[in-house]
Amino acid sequence: MAQKKFRNLRSEGPKGWFNISPDLCKSCGLCKEKCPTDVLDWSKELGVYGSPMMSAARIEQCIACGICEMVCPDAAILIEKKDTKKK
Amino acid sequence: MTDHLAMPKSWHVETKPHKFCPGCGHGIALKILGEVIDELNIQDRLVFGVDIGCSLLAWDFFDVDTVQTHHGRTNPVMVGMKRANPDLLCIAYMGDGGGYAIGSQHLVNSAFRNERILAIVINNCNYGMTGGQMAPTTLPGQKTETSPYGRDAETTGSPTLGPEMVAAIASPGAYVARGSIANIKQLKRFMKKAVENQIAGNGFSFLEVLSSCPTNWRTNAKQTWAFVEDEMSKYFKTGELRTPDEKKEA
Repeated sequence: MAQKKFRNLRSEGPKGWFNISPDLCKSCGLCKEKCPTDVLDWSKELGVYGSPMMSAARIEQCIACGICEMVCPDAAILIEKKDTKKK
Repeated sequence: MTDHLAMPKSWHVETKPHKFCPGCGHGIALKILGEVIDELNIQDRLVFGVDIGCSLLAWDFFDVDTVQTHHGRTNPVMVGMKRANPDLLCIAYMGDGGGYAIGSQHLVNSAFRNERILAIVINNCNYGMTGGQMAPTTLPGQKTETSPYGRDAETTGSPTLGPEMVAAIASPGAYVARGSIANIKQLKRFMKKAVENQIAGNGFSFLEVLSSCPTNWRTNAKQTWAFVEDEMSKYFKTGELRTPDEKKEA
């Protein structure tokens, strides 16, 4: 059986990439309240329940801490940290 | 396009997005349980039992053998499976109604007999699936469908402190703890220890998770976090109450 695919919206910040899936986000807003640098805000895109989904509106403030990923009950968010160590 | 973003490997991807309401704490608790299952690599020897109530919406959540039982009877079903096949790892997953109301007898007796299963109770201070009625865990003064003027401790008693109750009667080797979705790293440590306690076969493992119910609390995201972090944790103190080696984390 082919594995189910979810769409993914990806945006790049200074310390990492913010990934969110419109097929998983139910617009609960728990991540928005937990973000320490106030990156997240409602988007014009609609989530899986037809309500405005979350987006990284102020991605330039993102510190890639991963709290939003941790508190998302639907696993809709993924933070990919950039490798900032000098080689 | 990605496959499935941040989901644990043990999640059943075909059934996602899952059936819980937006902002429900079940999703967070089950994500942590999924991560623990992945880390301990126990997916093939696990039986997951779900109760009636919102917890039954987890019947197709994991890619593991799952059974849904009668209301409150998840503990005895899991105990039976564990006794018949001690190699299995049995997790009884229920809400506060199944754990502390209709199923409290089974919880108490499983703890008394020191059965080698793990019982996880999700505490969200009301009966979620039936529309937000007063539950044994409803806080004093909290308004629900059946306590519109706030819960009166004079007539309806005080909220049930499940882990304290189980810790008072549990035998040596038991693991009893209470975590909260407001402190996810601590909750994950507790969840992992509880599963490891069953793998080691020390005794009864019990974990209560303070969870959220924005739909029935009628709260927005900010109020939801405030209720979990301030109101609930004031009455329900998180921490370990019993561990096999008696070293506790507050």
